Amino acid sequence: MNRNPSPARVRRWMGRNTSTVALVVIFAFGCVALPNFADKFNLSAIAFQYSIIGFLALGQLLVILTEGIDLSQGSLVALTSIVIATLITHAGLPTPVAILGGVLASTLLGFLSGLLVSRTQIPAFIVTLGMLGIARGLALLISIGKPISIADEVFADLGRSKVWEIPASLILWLLAALLLHYFLTQRRLGRHIYAVGGSAESARLSGVNVRNIKLLVYAMSGFLTGIAGVLWTSRLSSGSPIGGVNYELESIAAVVVGGGSLFGGIGTVGGTVAGVLIFGVINSMLNLAGISPYWQGTIKGVLILAAVALSQLRRADRTNVRGVARHASDSTAGPAKPSRNI
Amino acid sequence: MEQAPVLQLRGICKSFAGVPVLRDVSLDLYGGEVHCLVGENGAGKSTLIKIISGAYTKDAGTITYQGRELGHIAPAWARENGINTIYQEIDLIPSLDAAENISLGNEPRTRSGGIDWPAVRRNAQKNLDDIGANVDATVPVGQLKIAQQEMVAVAKALSLKSKVMILDEPTAAFTGTEVRNLFKTIRWLQSQGIAVLYISHHLDEIFEIGDRVTVLRDGNLIRTELIQNIDKATLVKAMVGRDIDFTRSDGGAGGSEILRAEGLTQRGVVSDVSFSLHEGEIVGVGGLVGAGRTDLARMLVGAAPVHGGKIYLHGKPQRIPSPKAALSLGIGMLPEDRKVEGLVTMRTVADNMGYSVIQASARFGIVPWRKIKAVIRDLIGSLQLRPPRPNLQVRYLSGGNQQKVVLGKWLAARCDLLILDEPTRGVDVGARAEIYHLMQELKRNKKAVLMISSDMTEILTQSDRILVMAAGRIVGELPGASATEEQVLSLALGLEEAA
Amino acid sequence: MQVTPLLDRLNRRATFETKGVLRILLILAGLIVVAGVLSRGVFFGPENLINLGQQNAMLTVVALGQFLVILTGGIDLSVGAILAISSVVFVLFQGYGIVPALALALLAAALIGLINGGLVTYVRLPSFVVTLGMSQITLSLAMVLSKGGTVYTGLGGAAIAAPIIDFYNGWLLGIPLHVVFALVVVGVVALYLRTSYGHFAYAVGGNRSAAYLSGIPVATISVLVFVLAGILAGVGGALFVSRVGLGDPQAAKWIVLDSIAAVSIGGASLSGGVGTVAGTLIGVIILGVLNNIMNLLGVPPTMQPAIKGLVILLAVFLNSGRREK
Repeated sequence: MNRNPSPARVRRWMGRNTSTVALVVIFAFGCVALPNFADKFNLSAIAFQYSIIGFLALGQLLVILTEGIDLSQGSLVALTSIVIATLITHAGLPTPVAILGGVLASTLLGFLSGLLVSRTQIPAFIVTLGMLGIARGLALLISIGKPISIADEVFADLGRSKVWEIPASLILWLLAALLLHYFLTQRRLGRHIYAVGGSAESARLSGVNVRNIKLLVYAMSGFLTGIAGVLWTSRLSSGSPIGGVNYELESIAAVVVGGGSLFGGIGTVGGTVAGVLIFGVINSMLNLAGISPYWQGTIKGVLILAAVALSQLRRADRTNVRGVARHASDSTAGPAKPSRNI
Repeated sequence: MEQAPVLQLRGICKSFAGVPVLRDVSLDLYGGEVHCLVGENGAGKSTLIKIISGAYTKDAGTITYQGRELGHIAPAWARENGINTIYQEIDLIPSLDAAENISLGNEPRTRSGGIDWPAVRRNAQKNLDDIGANVDATVPVGQLKIAQQEMVAVAKALSLKSKVMILDEPTAAFTGTEVRNLFKTIRWLQSQGIAVLYISHHLDEIFEIGDRVTVLRDGNLIRTELIQNIDKATLVKAMVGRDIDFTRSDGGAGGSEILRAEGLTQRGVVSDVSFSLHEGEIVGVGGLVGAGRTDLARMLVGAAPVHGGKIYLHGKPQRIPSPKAALSLGIGMLPEDRKVEGLVTMRTVADNMGYSVIQASARFGIVPWRKIKAVIRDLIGSLQLRPPRPNLQVRYLSGGNQQKVVLGKWLAARCDLLILDEPTRGVDVGARAEIYHLMQELKRNKKAVLMISSDMTEILTQSDRILVMAAGRIVGELPGASATEEQVLSLALGLEEAA
Repeated sequence: MQVTPLLDRLNRRATFETKGVLRILLILAGLIVVAGVLSRGVFFGPENLINLGQQNAMLTVVALGQFLVILTGGIDLSVGAILAISSVVFVLFQGYGIVPALALALLAAALIGLINGGLVTYVRLPSFVVTLGMSQITLSLAMVLSKGGTVYTGLGGAAIAAPIIDFYNGWLLGIPLHVVFALVVVGVVALYLRTSYGHFAYAVGGNRSAAYLSGIPVATISVLVFVLAGILAGVGGALFVSRVGLGDPQAAKWIVLDSIAAVSIGGASLSGGVGTVAGTLIGVIILGVLNNIMNLLGVPPTMQPAIKGLVILLAVFLNSGRREK
């Protein structure tokens, strides 16, 4: 559409890209306020650590877009690491096979979650909460509660290597983000995910297979979590059954801060990427400023709640008062369907 | 227009739970005509269109579409084969823009399998331009005005190569200009040979846009006419005109004033409503869909905002910010849909009947259980609840008995003013009589009853006075003892009161 | 019919809920038989039963709080964190005396519950997100207070008052004090459900709009259950200190899952409006017996989270199947 940017369009751009703007602002603040912030070492550290969360956030975005949630990501990361470590160290399998096994395990459990969410009435947060326990339990079981070290140099390099000074895992993540962006904006299935989240009923009436879309996003989240697990395992050079705790909280936060709505239908890859980086940057700033890790948890928790609250308030702003769809007013069409206020 | 009808209905019958809703309805729809369907609330209009679109299954009769008799119609099939219905609850995805909504499920693809966005935008724009819609196709549909959303829905139906387009009360929230635009669109649809079935109670619109009109009454087809062969008065007569054998209310003498409303307003919904209610009277409120009756009721119990005007209770001005406040002031409401707003269906009869009286009588959270149980036991008896079991979950009761439970809740709480919104909807004949009996008893006990009803018989027989609402205003008041159906309907339709 | 007036005269709980309780009572009986057989009677020995009671007193208290929240249609994922921070606060302020220390701990717990309730009710955020976020915040604060480790002594070196530790080892009529205490809490919560606020919780969870239109103060009740859940989790924290002798920010890591499992097994529906105190108690006991059976079968303790996850899913699935709304 060739139109001169009207104030409304600028405002809309700002609204859609708030998280990117916020990221730039916070980053700039960091550069100015903290001495070692902008140096290569620090930035790499952020990139290494948060490319893992980044993969989780991409998976979480998919699930949140359908008005679901995945609370099992952290436990799945741990499980993936145990599977990989066990396959390499105890079963003696070649590393690529082990990696495949780990990702497969995570994808499978994600698929199971998706089955339950799409085929039963059990709410998503309960399904994935249960899966959190199941995955954690399996990880503890297979490893008998103890970490398993991996003696593969090449594998260890995966999580620590750089390509032209840029962490490989960051490049990998951004590539994945680009792919996902393409999927969500150019492919039918991707657009249908937005439709399901926007209004599952209307989507169904337009011929969208709502159940399978819901199944798909959880499987995809499982897959992406598996990849995150591979990177994590590589960095630790071992499988740990007790790691990854609360990772899903960070991924949810990143999605919400990036503009995603917990009520479905709204959110972008770009925003999510910005959200992940925002948390990475803030995390780094808190560390460099010498704030105790315990206070950091509090600050991050407050940020998450604030982001969610803001997103809810923004939602209320955008309500179009629909005179027709009033709840329970005199209606010839029988009992009023609950109207959707955006 | 003289060709074979694109859609033919013959002898359509439909009943719900033994209650006939459509009786032997036959209708022909021709391509390129605008066929209007009129009738009071409950005449069977929406049931008919749901049968056409496949949402309901007919009990008897035949449907012939494009010369082929149809068996069972699946909604998906109907939609894909040219029968499109646009309901009041518009089935679009609010977070997606118009272009995407129009192509949803039918997206044009590129060679690589991705979505051909330029084609999506082109098609959408073409469809929107064809119907003359002035819609920004890049804005999320939820942010559009209702009229524009309607246009997008029409464009979407068009993109599905619609042959029959059914519009259910499309102009419910439209401004005059928006109505004009819709008519332009409809005329364009006509020019393309599309049959339009237009349901509305705006008689002016019907006479402007319609080619033929069909009147339904109580599930029967009364008549089908060319628009030029009928006038408004005759139309109204056809919509009513039943022989009602009933005993009318004696128009009881009202006692002192319990409630007075002055200039009540809710932006866009209710305008400048003033009336008063007295002890010992039943005031009926008539009107059609969207007239604002339920909204008014909700304002009186604090469940909807009051943007202007005042409420006086026993002469004193009162603010009613919530149903909790209303309860403490002695006002209660039996809602239009008891399952959605009136009952906690998983809980028992005793639980449901007790909620309001417990709220009213508990002190610091302490509940006088023995007293409450006694009150409920007595009520179960006097309401003749069947079965008379306080510990039965309400969901197992019949509609009539469920309604009695809701009534019992307010009776237990000893309200002075009871608002009943469709008190006998979905209630069998026996329970209906019992509910009327209860209303009379309330009257005898010097309570005030405000009864919203779409049942003409009910309004005429039970009310001492009748208020008629249309488009958010009170357009007339009639004495209960002598009002006629035509008077009520004429007022409700916004016409001059028939002499 | 002779049966009807008899049932009505019983009048204590709705018959449909009584039936539900009887059902899980039967399941419990079945499990006890299995446990008895597998353990060749050891299960019924006083040592084992006392152990069972002691281990589950804390969960009982916390699960009751979770039950109240679930009744109104919400969920509280922060009960574990509240328990942990209460245990830390309780130990830290021992120097001021048992009662002031307890009061502070419970105050902190109530405050967190208040924030939970406020955000859910007035900002209209989903309860699982709010309580998830608050659990993170609370755990971090607990770490701050305890400086990252466990706390054995209060500020200024005050030791944990002896009566607190004795409470765990004490008896009343042959029953451990913790168990007696848990049963007292059960009674208190049952009493709460007889007050208007408690009784209305069923309506708020069952059909919020209907409750609202009936004049019920829906917002107040909604906030109140979170506060109560917080306080009960705080009490759980005190019990923890009594049993383990220290305050721990990582206390009872799995108690959130346990409490949800117990409540679901007890017959409460996650969408709210259905459930009983008795059911929740039986749910706790069933979990305890299941634990026992798993130990007897030699299932490694590390499997427990997995089993619990499965149990929750199964219980919720069965419950949701039965409630066709």
